[in-house]
Amino acid sequence: MSSITLASADLKQLLARVALGDRTAFRRLYDATAPSLFGVALRIVRQRDRAEEVLQDAFVNAWKRAAGYQAALSQPMTWLTAIVRNRALDELRSARQSADSLDEREGEDAAAIEDTQPGPLGLLEQAADKLAIRDCLDAIEGSQRQCLALVYYHGLSHSEVAAHVGSPIGSVKVWLRRGLDKLKRCLESLA
Amino acid sequence: MNYDRPELLDRLAAEYVFGTMNARVRSRFQAIQRGLPAARQAVEDWEQRLTPLAHSVPPAQPSAAAWAAIERRIDGRESRQAAPASAWLAWLRPFLGVAFGVVATLGLVRLYPTAVVPVDDIVQERGTLPASYVGLLTDAANNPVVLASSTRHGRIMSIKMLRKVEAPAGKVLQLWALPKEGAAFPLGVVPSEGKGSFTMPDTSEKLLSSVPRLAVSIEDAPARAGAMPAPYVLTGNCVKLW
Repeated sequence: MSSITLASADLKQLLARVALGDRTAFRRLYDATAPSLFGVALRIVRQRDRAEEVLQDAFVNAWKRAAGYQAALSQPMTWLTAIVRNRALDELRSARQSADSLDEREGEDAAAIEDTQPGPLGLLEQAADKLAIRDCLDAIEGSQRQCLALVYYHGLSHSEVAAHVGSPIGSVKVWLRRGLDKLKRCLESLA
Repeated sequence: MNYDRPELLDRLAAEYVFGTMNARVRSRFQAIQRGLPAARQAVEDWEQRLTPLAHSVPPAQPSAAAWAAIERRIDGRESRQAAPASAWLAWLRPFLGVAFGVVATLGLVRLYPTAVVPVDDIVQERGTLPASYVGLLTDAANNPVVLASSTRHGRIMSIKMLRKVEAPAGKVLQLWALPKEGAAFPLGVVPSEGKGSFTMPDTSEKLLSSVPRLAVSIEDAPARAGAMPAPYVLTGNCVKLW
């Protein structure tokens, strides 16, 4: 399977054809976007088999909902990534209702990911570099930045972030809220 | 909570998209999004803002089985299922299918004999209620208003109105299913008082197995599949009674 990168306009065309039930277009859309989307799911659910289930659910969902995709309002990758992230977060949260701790969740897959790829803060910084908002991000206090990255890329809940950074949950909630407000302003400066 | 406040919706949408909500709050906010366009819009705004951050995540190649599973599912050949573990299992599948079919048919008659025996008799004999989906819808003041129930493998939805609902003349009370994912879909029309029933397009198991919430809106006419619901006047949980 190739991991071709298609321009946003091409993806929009593919999605328009998918909305009409075009299976060839759907396959091309999958080939072009599945690796990126699988990467996002894998970061959140941490296990390949569960990430593949998330990917399957997301693409079946995209197939059904393609007719409702509004090209004028959203980029195709934004639309698809939102579907994948939502599904991955649902999967993570429902599995976590059994109250397994972060440590229990981090199996061998997670360890492999941690070893070979940039950590969550690294990903946030890389994203900021790409978007040219690095200065704005660096102005956010370090602990807030770390909390933001842990939540966004690994799907950690308030209590898990608190356990991870060794701070009271109340402080983490405040950091996240303030951090998110600042991040919002950084991202809005792009528009 | 007053969801008309834009700043509250913005805060909730941020937490939803960012991912800090727990399972219970997520599911509640998903139900709110289905009924409240302003909530859906707030979520879309945050998705637009935050998604570029996800693009720094390194790609990873899913297995070839993932695409095969997606194709099977959009063809309706099976529901969510992991890829076959090996080629011999794939080869064996048709035979397993037949064997499972025979066992399942026998099992279903034993487990769900409601098709041939009146439900009351089964309840009397077993002392338990049959496997069913049950919804209890409440109004804004949390008063129970609609009791909706349907046996697991049946198509009839029985409705008992626990309070009278005054629908404006010429309007109908439309019952909707609010699935965990995707848009709300219409189930049927409920009476304003007393008891009633309607036949659904498929079995409860097919329609309701991933539907945590039900809602009622006031519509000009019975809603068709794909229609957008008017604001909900009653909502409630839909649970499995087994």
